[in-house]
Amino acid sequence: MATESTTDFTLDTAAALAAAEDEGAIEGKSPWYLAWRRLRRNYVALAFLFVFVAIVVLCLCAPLYAHHVAHTGPNTGHLGETFTRDGQQVPIVSKGGFQNGQFHAGGIPVGPQLWHAGGKYVLGADNQGRDVAVRLLYGGLNSLAIGIGSAVICTFFAMVFALLAGYYGGKTDWIISRFFDLIWAFPVLLLAIALGTALSINGFHHFGINIKSGSLWIPTLVISYVLIPYIGRPLRGQILSLREKEFIEAANSQGASSLRVMFSELLPNIASSILVFFTLIIANNILTEAGLSFLGAGVQPPSPSWGTMIADGQDRIATAPWLAIIPGIMIVLTVLSLNVFGDGLRDALDPRAKVRMEH
Amino acid sequence: MTKRSRLTRVVGVLALLAALAFLAGCGGGGNKSSSGSSGGSSNSGKTYPVLRVIWDAPDYMDPQLYYTVAAYQINNYVWSGLLGYKHAAGPAGAQLVPYLAESMPKISADGKDLKFTLRKNLHYSNGAAVKASDFKYSIERAFKMDSPGVGFFSAISGVSGANGFATTKKGHITGIITNDANRTIELKLDHPEGDILYILALEFAHVVPSGTPASDQSTHPIPSTGPYMVQSYQPNRGFTLVRNPHYNNQIPTEPSGNPDKVVGTIITDPVAAYQRVVSDKADYDFQPVPNDRLPEAQSKYKDQLRIYTNANTYYYALNNAIPPFNNINARKAVQMAIDPQAIISGVYGGLGRPTENFLPPGYPQYKKIDAWHFDLAKAKQLVQQSGTAGQTVDVYGPNEDPSKANTEYLAGQLTKIGYKPKLHLLSHAVYFQTIGNQATKAQAMFTDWYQDYPHPIDWFDTLLNGNRIAKIHNNNVGNVNVPSVNKEIEALKKITTLTPDVNNRWAKVDSDLMAKYATTVPYMNRSSTDFFGSKVDMSCYTFSVVLYWDWGLSCMK
Repeated sequence: MATESTTDFTLDTAAALAAAEDEGAIEGKSPWYLAWRRLRRNYVALAFLFVFVAIVVLCLCAPLYAHHVAHTGPNTGHLGETFTRDGQQVPIVSKGGFQNGQFHAGGIPVGPQLWHAGGKYVLGADNQGRDVAVRLLYGGLNSLAIGIGSAVICTFFAMVFALLAGYYGGKTDWIISRFFDLIWAFPVLLLAIALGTALSINGFHHFGINIKSGSLWIPTLVISYVLIPYIGRPLRGQILSLREKEFIEAANSQGASSLRVMFSELLPNIASSILVFFTLIIANNILTEAGLSFLGAGVQPPSPSWGTMIADGQDRIATAPWLAIIPGIMIVLTVLSLNVFGDGLRDALDPRAKVRMEH
Repeated sequence: MTKRSRLTRVVGVLALLAALAFLAGCGGGGNKSSSGSSGGSSNSGKTYPVLRVIWDAPDYMDPQLYYTVAAYQINNYVWSGLLGYKHAAGPAGAQLVPYLAESMPKISADGKDLKFTLRKNLHYSNGAAVKASDFKYSIERAFKMDSPGVGFFSAISGVSGANGFATTKKGHITGIITNDANRTIELKLDHPEGDILYILALEFAHVVPSGTPASDQSTHPIPSTGPYMVQSYQPNRGFTLVRNPHYNNQIPTEPSGNPDKVVGTIITDPVAAYQRVVSDKADYDFQPVPNDRLPEAQSKYKDQLRIYTNANTYYYALNNAIPPFNNINARKAVQMAIDPQAIISGVYGGLGRPTENFLPPGYPQYKKIDAWHFDLAKAKQLVQQSGTAGQTVDVYGPNEDPSKANTEYLAGQLTKIGYKPKLHLLSHAVYFQTIGNQATKAQAMFTDWYQDYPHPIDWFDTLLNGNRIAKIHNNNVGNVNVPSVNKEIEALKKITTLTPDVNNRWAKVDSDLMAKYATTVPYMNRSSTDFFGSKVDMSCYTFSVVLYWDWGLSCMK
């Protein structure tokens, strides 16, 4: 409310002005609120967040779908069996072989039945007679579990290493930086393949840790390990910069412990970057998992993942293209949704930031 | 003995089914001698300039080393042994005929002494004369190079034992006596070997010039004795064969071949190989037509496609030595849980024939076994009876399709009958040595066998004789060990003449091991394809039991 001065300025006038100012005080807004306000105006990012959440919810429903709709498990083969479609018995995988001396090519699984077979083989079958829809959902569970799990582990260790290296500097920084260099010296996928292949045969049985071959922990840990520098390095750079700021000097001069400075002062200031990195690296990890599983170094058969499903389908691309295309679409949708949302989140948290996953 | 088989390539023949003719062929491997005039011919007047083939990568191009069909099939017109196989379609192709030897050998009554004489005026492709001592040198060279085939020669005197040539690799093999002037070669054996003549026809016994370095000469072609010679070989890229200028039909039992030149391009991806032939950039596709393209090949290129089933058996090995499959009811349950037709259709696109025998059809010793019928309910019941339900089973298989899918099927069926399978899929490069190591303790395994030579010894003695179980490099991966059958195999091994009675005894070995004791689960004789370009005249197509597609007899439209 503006007050037009028509008289001399008195103490009463000052009091009136102060009162008027209190009435129109601007409410303080937290950076998180501002970010959310920016994000909710980004409809594209929100739409893709919805897509990602929908995929996660669908995959979480895998056991329900398998039990109540498809009536089969993800690894249960049905070679040599039939199913009912429109009252007729149809072989799940076409029969082939020699009849009366004549060869007949077979082995072509049924295509997508949608709802014509009472919920069975909605997306068709694979060459073992397994229900593709069931495997797709369970495969999604595995891919997402590995993607998100490895992102959590990778981000946690990258954050800890970055804080230690950036805050302490000196020898600690040198050792951690050389560790990053060591991992970075190898092409990420090749290193992951090498580790994944070696561990998938016999598992990991060292330092009191026992992980059996075939466990999802193997691709999860391998992916976490090889991607640590890709988050750790940029975070370390930010910490090195923040360490020189006045508020850190102030905290130090007030006698704050190193841990307090790291976790109460530095960490909140890189939280937005960590959040963006975390979102983007989930997409990256899902892609890496798919690549590893496609090459046999990730999820081990018969467990499904979108990568193993593409690998299984590639030999049938001419006669049963859905086997490779459907899991491929799921990977594209998931990665695209995470990337678009991650970009939106980055813009919302710090419109000036240039956080990029580069490798 | 080791094996050529266990290859990604399926080779063989439908025509093995004509058992009687084959019997005649195997009978020829006995202790009688015969003239060497059968089977051969000079070129048929259908010569043509060049045959362009898409081939798989040979392991070596050195006769003492190569052991894959890719090398064997292309090189059987290059180097020769004392004996070889008749170039004829069907079962006649299993007949041994003299190649470098002028006739079949004279064999002593006790079967321990064999005498050969080389043909006159034999020359290598470089013009040098072939000497009797070259044979001895070639066998010794195989030992010096640690050839995969040396196990075949263990019966030759002076090879085995602490002071044998196999151990010392010094001096000479005393059991091979040669005379260059008389062109004679005498082989002395420690004990009679029923399959010795077949062993002498193997590539490891092919003759190379004395003085050939005892190291891999793949890229430095060794002078040949056959109608062709290797002009060049670039590993993983290709090879070129040209006519041997000094051949002069010196082996009348071997055709001189129709193409003047063979240009091989190595492509290991079956889809790419198929496409090259479809687009007429090549005349022959060595790789099997991918299952995915079979319907197209069958409909669009029917005249250019040939499907054959050769002497092979695909089987699941169950470890008879440790639980749960040291229990016969558990093994019988697996027999009943496997549906061969389902595997053939689903995994191999129909390219296979169901079997319950270990020995493939076409052998005169083959008697069809009909003991098992797919019945999951009964299989479950047997597992319950055996008291092994709920046990964990380590299932091993290769990590590439179709073997991978096949192993997944086995694991799936084991789940259905009450076991908890744990799948281990390994690279093909290490797979067989891993399951052949007792420390692995594999309980159920994918495996297969392609014949080295057409004799039951190559099957039962090599793969299922309990007396030959080894700690490592164990071919008897299921540790099959039935004492009464072991004894019978040992007795049959010494018999060099395959009479009907002997054949019946081999058939009983098959029946005892597969039906009575349910030691192993054979389910398929795999079929494969030969696919040709449109310029190839299919009327010349010849498929032999042992030599596969006989490219030397091919002709063009």
